[in-house]
Amino acid sequence: MSRLLLPILFGALFIVESLFVQYTPADLFGDGKVSSPHFLLAGIIFLSVFGSKKHGIIYGFVFGALFDIVYTEILGVYLFLFPLTAYFASKTMRVIHANLFTASGVSLIAIALVEIAVYWINLLINVTDLSFVNYLEIRFYPTILLNLAFVILAAFPLKWQFEKFAEELGND
Amino acid sequence: MPQFILNKRLIVLLVSIIILVALIGFSLRERSELTWPEKFVKDTTGWVESLVSKPAHFFSGFFQNLEDLQNTYHENKELKTRVEKIAELEKQVQILEKDNKELRVILDKKKTLRDFKPLQATVIGRNPDRWQEMIIIDKGKTSGLKQNMAVIGSNGSLLGKIKHVNQFSSTIQLLSAADPKNQISTIILGDTSSYGLVDGYDKEKRLMVKRIPADAKIKKGQLVVTSGLGGVFPKGLLIGKVVEVKPDQYGLNQTAYVKPGANFYDIENVMVVKKTMRVPEASDYMESKGEGQ
Repeated sequence: MSRLLLPILFGALFIVESLFVQYTPADLFGDGKVSSPHFLLAGIIFLSVFGSKKHGIIYGFVFGALFDIVYTEILGVYLFLFPLTAYFASKTMRVIHANLFTASGVSLIAIALVEIAVYWINLLINVTDLSFVNYLEIRFYPTILLNLAFVILAAFPLKWQFEKFAEELGND
Repeated sequence: MPQFILNKRLIVLLVSIIILVALIGFSLRERSELTWPEKFVKDTTGWVESLVSKPAHFFSGFFQNLEDLQNTYHENKELKTRVEKIAELEKQVQILEKDNKELRVILDKKKTLRDFKPLQATVIGRNPDRWQEMIIIDKGKTSGLKQNMAVIGSNGSLLGKIKHVNQFSSTIQLLSAADPKNQISTIILGDTSSYGLVDGYDKEKRLMVKRIPADAKIKKGQLVVTSGLGGVFPKGLLIGKVVEVKPDQYGLNQTAYVKPGANFYDIENVMVVKKTMRVPEASDYMESKGEGQ
């Protein structure tokens, strides 16, 4: 049962992101502001912090690939960034004590870094021509705010779920 | 030994960066079709998403209805005033349509660039990262969709075009996407129509129609429609209304800023436009050369 739980949980996060942008008002944080949900990434970071690093990286890889194929149609960007951030998040967590607050902080930092990396790649391949200052104002701050709200809501259930998962892994 | 492990990781990182660059390069090519693994994944996720999105549509529709109920009184008042005008318009349209038909019979010209068949489709997903403005719909190749077909919203305004088709789903690139390849030939309707190209979407949510000749006189409020000259789009799909006109950098052309008629957010149902007039393909030109047509 619990083996199925993780794929279903991440699959749900994957689809919820798409539903979220479809149904929430476009300018949630004011006129012309764009906020993009990164619930999936937050889940992956929590998994690699409280669950296991290996699973975090594998799920990052699989769902990064899905994200690229289904949503963006530019292969490689999230496929590369999700496992990388999962890896670094679990590395950082070895240095600092893992609890709800530090994990939330780390996942927000990961989301911020991924957002900036994706902006930079999109700038390189001419998907966008926003300047960095405009980017920060139009996309970065609203995105961070939105995902902060999600992390606050979801941190405890995610932590609980993944710690249970880690225990089961240990028992096996 | 730790030195060696560090090197191994570095090598893994470097190799994956090379793969990343190769993959991005691969997907940025002008692709007329996706590879089969991509299609397979898209169709599978499309199926799951359409399962989820139908109840979601239902719920959002329910709340929408509640909101509508609150506004009913005011809307009713305003609509009543409009109904009278519509009757007048309808009469005019009928007369014009009849006229048009008769003239066409005289000219023996049956098909126009304007004829199209609409095909209804439901939106089942949207790109969450919002860099590429793309939505996913639940109709694909099996329903006869092809790449580059025009897509219109429920109010008849142009939304975008089909970017890729899979067997049972397809992706649509919205007009609001900043894609230099996404240019659409348009007519700005007025006493004398002038042509331009939709190219880009600015921060204030206006489409930019570029390459309008400098001597064209364009006023605020003029309607912008598709010209049908691009090959795939039919003629006369509404794009929006002109809100501002500016001469371009060198003064040779003008740029019109157009407020789009479609709402690029909150899209539930779309229509895919199949042009009925046959579009000549490259092979036709080759043949006609031989036949001397």
